[in-house]
Amino acid sequence: MNSMLPDITEKLDHILSGLPALTPELVLIAAFIASILTGLFVDRLWRHSTFFITVIGMALSALYSGFLLYEPNADGVLFGMVATDAFGQYMRILIALVCMLFVLFVNASPDFRVHRKKTADLYSILIAVQIGLNLMTLATNWLMTFVAIEMVSIGSYLMVGYLAKEARQTEAAMKYVLFGAVCSAVMLYGMSLLYGLTGNLDYTSAQHIQGLNDASPLLVTLALLFVFTGIGFKLTFVPFHFWTPDVYQGAPTPVTAFLSTAPKIAGIALLAHILYAWPEDSFAYQNLRLMLVAAAAVTMLWGNLAALRQTDVKRMMAYSSIGHTGFLMMAVLAYSAQDYTVLLYYLAVYSLMNMGVFMLTGYIESRTGAVNVAQYHGLGKSMPLAMICFTLIMISLTGIPPTSGFVAKLLVFTAVFHDWQATGEIGMVVLLIIGALTTVISLFFYFKIPLHAFLKTAEKEPEMKPLRYSILWLAVLLTVVIWILGIFPNWLVG
Amino acid sequence: MITLTHFLVVGACIFAIGLYAVIARRNAILVLVGIELMINAAILNLVAFGRYDSTRYGGQAFALFAIVLAAAGVAVALAIILNVYKHYKTINPEDINKLRD
Repeated sequence: MNSMLPDITEKLDHILSGLPALTPELVLIAAFIASILTGLFVDRLWRHSTFFITVIGMALSALYSGFLLYEPNADGVLFGMVATDAFGQYMRILIALVCMLFVLFVNASPDFRVHRKKTADLYSILIAVQIGLNLMTLATNWLMTFVAIEMVSIGSYLMVGYLAKEARQTEAAMKYVLFGAVCSAVMLYGMSLLYGLTGNLDYTSAQHIQGLNDASPLLVTLALLFVFTGIGFKLTFVPFHFWTPDVYQGAPTPVTAFLSTAPKIAGIALLAHILYAWPEDSFAYQNLRLMLVAAAAVTMLWGNLAALRQTDVKRMMAYSSIGHTGFLMMAVLAYSAQDYTVLLYYLAVYSLMNMGVFMLTGYIESRTGAVNVAQYHGLGKSMPLAMICFTLIMISLTGIPPTSGFVAKLLVFTAVFHDWQATGEIGMVVLLIIGALTTVISLFFYFKIPLHAFLKTAEKEPEMKPLRYSILWLAVLLTVVIWILGIFPNWLVG
Repeated sequence: MITLTHFLVVGACIFAIGLYAVIARRNAILVLVGIELMINAAILNLVAFGRYDSTRYGGQAFALFAIVLAAAGVAVALAIILNVYKHYKTINPEDINKLRD
């Protein structure tokens, strides 16, 4: 036992020396503990204390991630379990932004405000989830990947089932938790196989890459398929998308907005990390690339075609987000080692658009109770500002100029085209064609909403419940940002 | 002599039994039991492989994390299933189908 002691000192020193690179997470941990305490003791005196602690913690973590951009990259943090590069810093900032929007959305949402459980616990869970999301974007080790994905998953299950106000919400939570747990169990089994094949858990290490090259191709394919079951569940690409429509429809609207954005940002970052950790001529890389090209093509087609026949707005947006996942996977496949601006721009714009759409859906649902496109008849007249914003965001989601959705799609198509010219890979052309085709298809379901809201008249005026306008103003702000980013994309890309 | 192969075969069998329990889905609790079996198959694999990684003990450490996270996941899942039971008075996944196309 005594022989271990000097080793422990050395290891502790190593861990401490790496901590400055993880300041954003440390801030979040402090905010997490503080939010539990304020939720227990201070909220009785001042209702908004936990809300402010959460927002301040997230803003500070984003700020520190920004500072870390100007620092040299720290190597071998936590024994090489995480890699803190510039890509990871931008992702952390984006995740913090999305989480803050979610907190504002929850705070303005009437369902959560009147709920007997209050929102303090939800904020604590959210901060824990954000730590998991950050770790997902940084992980370079299977153990860290697994822990991060589970942190995000368990927190998300709780958020979906948080209100449990009506039967549908509990049903959505149960479907989510059962499907998610199965996927993560399969992923764990795949990771154990990869560990056995290579003898190393760090997937960027030479030993791991060598082990994958030496092992039998069939076993490597099987293990990768297992691992990508878990990642596919978080990213919702076909064939792991079955839970998406049910959960998005059943979950409280702010939670749906969160689920369709933040885990996807982290999942895409993780996917890019894994894909580009392996050399291009290795069997594992080519195998994985083939699987992802096929999955991206099917995901784009399935998501957009299935969205066509939906009438529930949240369900339609669920399929639309599946379609966008296919697009994001295409962007990952086309992105070359250092140039991540395309991916970052697409993720940022996509998150803002989805947040905006769900805020408007939530606002309309709380005021009029409308959840179905048929119930949107005549709403263009009774709530003009909300429906105009809705239409403007829908234009951006389809990808019509001069919106940021158009710029994002254009950048992805350009990157894919360059990739095809450089490598001559036939799969990229197929992706390009399917991407263009599904953009046209998406026009038909996105424009259902303005069609029903403006061109059809309601049989009777819907009853309007009084509600504070805060969500609406937030959505208006997001719409303006989306359009400004479309007209001046340099502000973000530069 | 018990070799690595024995552990892997037992692990694969447990995984297959767990997967069957999940796919048969008679009862939400049984699905959870199946999930637990699948996780334990993976843990068995990790520990068995970890024997050959005596410098870092990666497999053993991973197994500990996996056990803790599995317990956390099951606790959340049981709470959610309890909520479902309050609304539906059943926990058979086949009968819980208000959300569908």
